[in-house]
Amino acid sequence: MADVESSLEFTTSLGSLPPPRTRIFKIIVIGDSGVGKTCLTYRFCAGKFPEKTEATIGVDFREKLIEIDGEKIKVQLWDTAGQERFRKSMVQHYYRNVHAIVFVYDITNAVSFRSLPSWIEECKQHSLGQEVPRILVGNKCDLRHAAQVGTEAAQQFADLHSMPLFETSAKNPSHADGDSHSSNSDHVEAIFMTVAHKLKSQKPLMLSQPAGAQNTVTLQSRREEEEKGGWNCSSC
Amino acid sequence: MNLKKSRNVGASSSLNGIDKQDAESKRKKKVAEITQALSVTPVDVAALRRMAISEGGLLTDEIRCKVWPWLLNVHLDNMPEQLGEVDRENNKDYNQVLLDVQRSLRRFPPGMPDEQREGLQEELTDIILRVLLKNPQLHYYQGYHDIVVTFLLVLGERLATALVEKLSTHHLRDFMDPTMDNTKHILNYLMPIIDRVNPEVHDFMEQAEVGTIFALSWLITWFGHVLSDFRHVVRLYDFFLACHPLMPIYFAAVIVLYREEEVLDCECDMASVHHLLSQIPQDLPYETLISRAGDLFVQFPPSELAREAIQQRSQETASSTFKDFELASTQQRPDSVLRRRRREQQSPPAAEAKKGTLVAVPSSARRFVRLAVMGLTVALGAAALAVVNSALEWAPKLDLHFFP
Ligand SMILES: Nc1nc2c(ncn2[C@@H]2O[C@H](COP(=O)(O)OP(=O)(O)OP(=O)(O)O)[C@@H](O)[C@H]2O)c(=O)[nH]1
Ligand SMILES: [Mg+2]
Repeated sequence: MADVESSLEFTTSLGSLPPPRTRIFKIIVIGDSGVGKTCLTYRFCAGKFPEKTEATIGVDFREKLIEIDGEKIKVQLWDTAGQERFRKSMVQHYYRNVHAIVFVYDITNAVSFRSLPSWIEECKQHSLGQEVPRILVGNKCDLRHAAQVGTEAAQQFADLHSMPLFETSAKNPSHADGDSHSSNSDHVEAIFMTVAHKLKSQKPLMLSQPAGAQNTVTLQSRREEEEKGGWNCSSC
Repeated sequence: MNLKKSRNVGASSSLNGIDKQDAESKRKKKVAEITQALSVTPVDVAALRRMAISEGGLLTDEIRCKVWPWLLNVHLDNMPEQLGEVDRENNKDYNQVLLDVQRSLRRFPPGMPDEQREGLQEELTDIILRVLLKNPQLHYYQGYHDIVVTFLLVLGERLATALVEKLSTHHLRDFMDPTMDNTKHILNYLMPIIDRVNPEVHDFMEQAEVGTIFALSWLITWFGHVLSDFRHVVRLYDFFLACHPLMPIYFAAVIVLYREEEVLDCECDMASVHHLLSQIPQDLPYETLISRAGDLFVQFPPSELAREAIQQRSQETASSTFKDFELASTQQRPDSVLRRRRREQQSPPAAEAKKGTLVAVPSSARRFVRLAVMGLTVALGAAALAVVNSALEWAPKLDLHFFP
């Protein structure tokens, strides 16, 4: 029922354009080089850890068709290059109209964690406001023994920026340093699905057209009412 | 004279059923010609350049070891016998280089034993760091390693180091600035080229707002990052080493144009078009595309596109520096003397080739016809000659400097 309603809404709002059958969620994945952005996006879209990754040059694109409450949704992941020189002039174009942002750091690499403020700043500069849902992902939890970034510090940072934190491993989520810890590690699939659920609950944003300023204002205020201090997804 | 030779090669290849014997004899003939060009004093670099461009390129890695240095004007007798030790830790780019080299497994031949591959990866890191340490004005970019690995696999460490250094301070110079602004500017040539040949494709891409980043890795790795068959990569390197530094962007345009039907059939949005174009087909007809790129270069030389490229740039950034032009021009420096000589010898056919191609043709349909009619032959010869032309068109200041 709900999905019929929303797809109708979608169709009419696009006016003369041919009615798309599926809604599209556009998610950008950013963070330092080597934190595992390519592995995470690959894991979600292809269902496995890639045997060989290569440096991402510019922007790679992956997508996956998912279903939420009976509605088919296309999740587009934009996997960006981590090296600083690509940020400024190159990747810019791809920040446009994104529906959500995934910040990634590597729990075994403190530098990648310390870079997060500059990535957040990067988003600001590309005029992605606070209203765009964002999450923080600490990757490589299978290497917990070599961790340089503690969960607490990461949680503090996430709270400060009103976003939920997930710790995971693109490589081996269920064997996060011995099975006893596995409950501390989220599954990549679940993380992206959480984002998708979040987006689905925010209908006005879903038009794959430039989100009008009015839309976003409405959204923001509504969400602030709903949940203060970020959205908590510890349930998955 | 030389034009004729390449015309023969081109003409027979345009017939579909060349039998093996014919191919073999053509190949032998080409090897003989290359050997000949290498044996004369001074070495006939102009001929080598044409061989590198014309069908099949330089044929074998053995030949490439001998010819590539000449294409880059690197003299083997000036090379140091031994490569110095590399101070790895003392390098700002070391971590990034290491990360990229570790992930470069796909660039090595599939059957290669791990141990050998690991040895080569060490050498790869060393070459990169050595060049960077010696040239502090150069900045490492992700993708640089894809270029260097190609040189390493063809030439071995010592020769690769010398050639990569030359390439980095010339052809790749723009990509190695502190920022990617100049790289972005070079990418701005892409859409104007596409527009000249097929405005429909151009408009479609504009409407989709696809941008040009799908071609970024093509440009800055000379396609080394995206082509899985090493033979195709080295064939393209033959071509690019023999041509103007902007040739890779013409080749990028040719690939897009070759896929025009797919592009136009695609949904007109950024994601779909980006996705389609960034997945490069592995079975491209490289020889045909190479000659088309040469063809386009002659018809629409960089100088002709420069204004549009700048317009695109000024829409994006306020900057109006022309630094990249100067850089691109200085890239011609190693060969300027040679080219002057070749220009003296060959400018009449060059002018002829150009006259034939520069007839004003308004409609896109006719543009296609013209490409077809021009065929392989003129383009192959002309692309080589275009290097001569473009150097003059591009570098008035440098001309004064180098041709007093
Ligand atoms: N142990 C472990 N290694 C991982 C994990 N995720 C990624 N890696 C490794 O980390 C390295 C970098 O991963 P990528 O996904 O290529 O990193 P990236 O963030 O895309 O890097 P850039 O493209 O350079 O920005 C690779 O060697 C991966 O195999 C993980 O969860 N666990
Ligand atoms: Mg990546």
